[in-house]
Amino acid sequence: MTLLAVFRLELRRLLVQPLAWVLLALGLAWLGWCFTRLLGDFLAGEIQRAAQPDGPGYVDLVAVPLLGQLAQIAFLVVPLLAMSTLAGERRNGTLPLLFAAGVPASRIVLGKYLALLPWLLAWLLLTLAMPLALAHTTTPDWGKLAAATLGIALMLAALAALAVAASAFTSHPAIAAVVALLLGLALWTVNLGAQMAGIDGGAINWLAMSTHGQNLLRGLVSTADILWFVLLVAVCLALATRRLAADKERG
Amino acid sequence: MTAALSAAPPVLQLDRVTRRRAGRVAVQDLNLELAPGQVLGLLGVNGAGKSTTLSMIAGALRPDAGAIRLNGEDFLERPELARRLVGWLPERAPVWPELSVMEHLDAHGRLRGLHGAALREARGAIIERLELQPLARRLAGILSQGQRQRLGLACALLHRPALLVLDEPANALDPVQVGALRELIREQAAAGTAVILSTHVLVEVTAVCDRVAILHEGRLHHDGPVRADDHAALERRFFGIAMQGATPAACAA
Repeated sequence: MTLLAVFRLELRRLLVQPLAWVLLALGLAWLGWCFTRLLGDFLAGEIQRAAQPDGPGYVDLVAVPLLGQLAQIAFLVVPLLAMSTLAGERRNGTLPLLFAAGVPASRIVLGKYLALLPWLLAWLLLTLAMPLALAHTTTPDWGKLAAATLGIALMLAALAALAVAASAFTSHPAIAAVVALLLGLALWTVNLGAQMAGIDGGAINWLAMSTHGQNLLRGLVSTADILWFVLLVAVCLALATRRLAADKERG
Repeated sequence: MTAALSAAPPVLQLDRVTRRRAGRVAVQDLNLELAPGQVLGLLGVNGAGKSTTLSMIAGALRPDAGAIRLNGEDFLERPELARRLVGWLPERAPVWPELSVMEHLDAHGRLRGLHGAALREARGAIIERLELQPLARRLAGILSQGQRQRLGLACALLHRPALLVLDEPANALDPVQVGALRELIREQAAAGTAVILSTHVLVEVTAVCDRVAILHEGRLHHDGPVRADDHAALERRFFGIAMQGATPAACAA
């Protein structure tokens, strides 16, 4: 029940913060603009594509690139959204109130993390609603769209976990946001050098979020990629829990 | 405090509790007992270890050594006991600035295991008792310090704890509110709630407490009864300990 109490508290805090709504509105406005552009390009190339029956379709040219745009701005939006989860508690001096209520560090971290997910899910669904609104006019590749959606959902969940972990290590939300942004970008681009050198395998490519995210965006669902995201979430939440438990010990 | 209440088993027992903070001993070998209905005044200069002691009793901080028992149960083995049994008003009453007074009470109630009708009933009662109706929908971030103290007090009392831990509760309250706070403390004690009140103001202790403990450099230097007409004696004892230092043995009487 304490997990639910922390979840509800954090969800309420998110819902009453103007920042969350501003981020949602700006994010959707940008994605709406991207959708209009992608749709325009798709319609402009319709005659050429009529000659290639097996060529890229609506999902490849509109839905997946739109989700790709969402993934790009998520690197900035998710850290901003999550920066206050634990850093804000520490700054306000409210963390001891949660400890005093007998809530273990693991439930504080998990409750706060879970509270971010409905907001991120809403953002993803509203973005997805744009291409889906016109899907009845085409014959979309539903499997590819589902895989890409899963990939973005996992990416958002992983970025949120990364941001919660960054928030656990400071009492300044802005620092937490910057650290989470840099860590996210580092995880995405860690294999850039290897890619440029033409190396496709190896540990460095396995470590990169882009390797696993791009597979899913291409419609390739593999257990290994899903597990990579689950592992990242678990490691980040474990680090945040450890740090919070140390806070209670240190005082 | 009635004789029946003083004979009751202690709500709180501290047994040789020790805690280091920032590389120095904040509290050392602290022994304390508190029976239901007792009001204990905790005195000490800044850095004496009062807030550290209260944080440990409230469950926000773990002692390095020693035992804390609530209603006879080991609090360190079962930290969730704090949820039911302890109400804590920390110094400066921290709040979530983006939440309203009502939302604070709901959040604290849920964290302390209250739900549904029980939560609504407890919330309504405490809002009425502390006259928080005009502030109910106001954001905590724009409350004055005195209003925040009242909100913190409401959160501490919401789940009707057996032990109420108040760290400088009269901070920023006006004289009328201080009077109301004293009345509230007496009312809680009469209902059987044990109260620990940390303060710098000696008159607070003689006004509402029936026992006083004086901490100095993390050690308990005095623990004994106090009477309302005992202010001068308490002042002499406190300044004797705070200004000149004293050995625990000398003050055990």
